[in-house]
Amino acid sequence: MSIYLPIAELSVNIFLLLSLGGIVGFLSGMFGLGGGFLMTPLLIFIGIPTNVAVATSANQIVASSISGTLGHWRQGQVDFKMGCILLIGAFFGSILGIWIFKVLVITGQLDTVIAILYFTLLISIGLLMLIESSQVIRDRIRKKTVKKKIHYHNWAHKLPFKVRFYKSKLYISIVPPILLGFIIGILSAVMGIGGAFILIPAMIYFLGMPTSKVIGTSLFQIIFITALVTLLHATTTFAVDALLAFVLIISSVIGAQLGVITATKLRGEDIRALLAVIVLIVAVKIASDLLVPPEEIFNLSVIRVVF
Amino acid sequence: MTLQTEALVIGSDEEEILIDANFSGQDLLVFGAFYADPSQPRDEKGDILVEIVGPSEDVILRKKKSFLGFWLNAISVGFRDVPGFYYLSSSNEIDNIFLEKNNIGILKTQKYSDMNWSLLTTDWGKIESEKDKIEFYEALIRTKDKENLFKQVTDEIKILDGNLFKTNIHIPNTAPVGKYIVNVYLMIDEQINKHYSYNFTVTRIGIEEAIYSFAYKFPLLYGLTSLIIAIFIGWGGAELFRRFRRI
Repeated sequence: MSIYLPIAELSVNIFLLLSLGGIVGFLSGMFGLGGGFLMTPLLIFIGIPTNVAVATSANQIVASSISGTLGHWRQGQVDFKMGCILLIGAFFGSILGIWIFKVLVITGQLDTVIAILYFTLLISIGLLMLIESSQVIRDRIRKKTVKKKIHYHNWAHKLPFKVRFYKSKLYISIVPPILLGFIIGILSAVMGIGGAFILIPAMIYFLGMPTSKVIGTSLFQIIFITALVTLLHATTTFAVDALLAFVLIISSVIGAQLGVITATKLRGEDIRALLAVIVLIVAVKIASDLLVPPEEIFNLSVIRVVF
Repeated sequence: MTLQTEALVIGSDEEEILIDANFSGQDLLVFGAFYADPSQPRDEKGDILVEIVGPSEDVILRKKKSFLGFWLNAISVGFRDVPGFYYLSSSNEIDNIFLEKNNIGILKTQKYSDMNWSLLTTDWGKIESEKDKIEFYEALIRTKDKENLFKQVTDEIKILDGNLFKTNIHIPNTAPVGKYIVNVYLMIDEQINKHYSYNFTVTRIGIEEAIYSFAYKFPLLYGLTSLIIAIFIGWGGAELFRRFRRI
């Protein structure tokens, strides 16, 4: 059974979409990530135009991050003040990101740039996760326990405009979080991701936030940034496909809940190693698509929106 | 004054083609009767030419080049007023000279040397040589043809009883929406003797059409609606599962 996607302007098998949303949702529930970094490339693989894949992923992440935040919120693990400061940076970042996106569409380089960005991102995440999880697994086998530092101090703590964050027990400058938000905003608008896998390590190592507050706070700011990116795409690039988003949201919400249940039955480092392998496979596929000589070196696109 | 004895009447089964969620293309029937001097041998009785021209579009054609092993869009050319759909069918082989003379054909079948390139494109960019222009021109037709949007055939018109004809034209699901013109020509002695034309439209209906026009007409409201749906399902889904797990 096919479904005609009005903005992507093509027919796609509905079961393919449902299973794609379900799998990405399952993985995101299992690993506590938004899943945008897998959703966008997989949508492109099944033939959805790159611009629609990016804008629609942002819309889907809104739903999955709300699902995720609620739990953390109830447990009081969200630092709203930090979230809002990150959002100030993210607001300006996403506006710049949309502008970059439009320039890429006009010059016809969007597909290539997105592919290169995703390849770089997925290869880095995949390798880092693989190294990290294999070390943990090795330590587990050798029965070693690793002591972790509670607090990280670096140059980010020496900048002006210092503000006290009671929830995170931090007294730091607002410059690093605004800068971090700005970068996440750009990436979110250009790539259709929430950016949790960049935000979470950056909050721990760069801002020095306690790990318990990091996931909830990053999810909280991702809701707003992806909501803003969805609105910006809807009004400037007209690439949000509401029907595609609807199908993906339904399937990913169900998948995410199943992922959460499954995750409790497996060891963290084992599932991280599994995700690393999945991420690396997607990265290799993206690279090969860029490198394999195309059958038709010409491609045609109809001009619908004049920027 | 010579007495005109030739005649052409045509009909069609559709005035409107509706694209909905399950649209996978549709056949359009064009039929009619023509009358030419019956005393003439078959070859002289005339041939039928059916042409369908879809709504005009502006398109960009991009050519990829290998750069450090990566295949990137390197050169782009904008074409304006390219028919979004084009179909030409004849009951007999027709030569290009005839089409050229009568201004019929995909992008008007002109000789490459005679083609007014500046009329066809908005921007040739870095392309200067005639050879490269022809390459792009051919690529435009080839890419459109691959999407089943351009077609030129000689074996699809059925002639019945010598004076009746009918043909089925497949309108694919990739066909753009808008006004389509059907031209039917009666050709006698390499001349157009009669010409009859009419219109039909391709329209989107159903939820897809609603979403499409909503997205382009009220983008902010569309974005907000899409967000509210996401928030509602995200929140509702999590709540539902939480209660479910408590039991």
